[in-house]
Amino acid sequence: MASQSRRELILAAMIRVVGSKGYKETSVADVIEEAGTSRTTFYKHFEDKHDCFLAAYDMLVEQVFAEVVANCDGEQSWLERVERGLATIVELFAVDPQLARTAVVEVAAAGADARQRHWNAVARFTAYLEDGRELANGRELPENISLMSAGAVSGLIFDELLAGRAAQLPALLPDLLFAMLVPYIGPRAAADEMRRVAAAG
Amino acid sequence: MIARSQRERLLEAAVRVVAEQGYAATTVADLTREAGISRTTFYAMFEDKEACFLAAYDVVVDTLVRRIASAYEAEEGWPRRARAGLAALLDALAEEPELARLALVDVGAAGPAAQRRYRAALQRLTPFFDEGRDFAPGGRNLPANTSRMAIGAVAGLISDELAAGRAGQLPDLLSEVLFATLVPYIGPVAAAREAG
Repeated sequence: MASQSRRELILAAMIRVVGSKGYKETSVADVIEEAGTSRTTFYKHFEDKHDCFLAAYDMLVEQVFAEVVANCDGEQSWLERVERGLATIVELFAVDPQLARTAVVEVAAAGADARQRHWNAVARFTAYLEDGRELANGRELPENISLMSAGAVSGLIFDELLAGRAAQLPALLPDLLFAMLVPYIGPRAAADEMRRVAAAG
Repeated sequence: MIARSQRERLLEAAVRVVAEQGYAATTVADLTREAGISRTTFYAMFEDKEACFLAAYDVVVDTLVRRIASAYEAEEGWPRRARAGLAALLDALAEEPELARLALVDVGAAGPAAQRRYRAALQRLTPFFDEGRDFAPGGRNLPANTSRMAIGAVAGLISDELAAGRAGQLPDLLSEVLFATLVPYIGPVAAAREAG
């Protein structure tokens, strides 16, 4: 238990340090200083910085996903689910810009396996929100339509974070909702939803 | 004149070397050897490896954008123009898989400046997408970010193929990327008809 929680301390420290210094500039020394653990403890749990980062990234994705599921389950319609899911993510990113930067921007600097994890995570979120096919009323939609939503939404979020505007992400929620919905329900209906959320927000 | 051609040689060499062995593993020595120039010449032109890579990246993007633009402008009517532009992009990427990975995937490994370059490169495609506003009924009422969304969707589809090592099959993705381009402007029914 003690060693489990120390491992998690290190993972949480990795997420914070990478989010503020950047992946390339982060050293194992930075992480153990932030975590308040020894070098020996670090290497007992992880092979190297990269190994630790991948484990930290997995933990981060599970945390964000758990939050989304917690806010989305129940009797909600697909539209409500998409809206709550996106709102959960942008609010989480807005209150914790370091986590957001690690999750979306810095992961790209951490090698092909890290990028694959990022993309898998994005695909998992969109697949979770994907029940939208129902709304297409049996129309034939392209098989990889959720990848389109994922690319559109994650591109917008990436640009905001890269520009250091994590705190402004919630203001982007109406646009993100439009991006997520439009391949399924078209621009007119998606714009209606966008305006509804903007008026409510 | 000679200085200019040395610079071009170096930038071409940088693209080749980084595409082949990855940005992190590339050294200035690799670049000077591949380009056949001296270290002194290198540092007379660029401050470091990153500056050289960024300049090389700009050349790659310029070439791609020119190729897209000329295919796009040869057609009439936005959906046809979009189809031609996207086909040119997919063909160009499929012809040079290493270059494609460099331009869209590995660029993330070269740090925040390179990531900004990558996002800026994508935004250079905005004019091609923005014509959808004039084409679509009610297009003026779409969110200001619509072209960024469509570009993100297209980039997502392409990156997914590249990451899976399927660069050679990119031209087969044309109907999906065309759907992703058209759908925020004209909706899924019309987009599927145009893309089919």
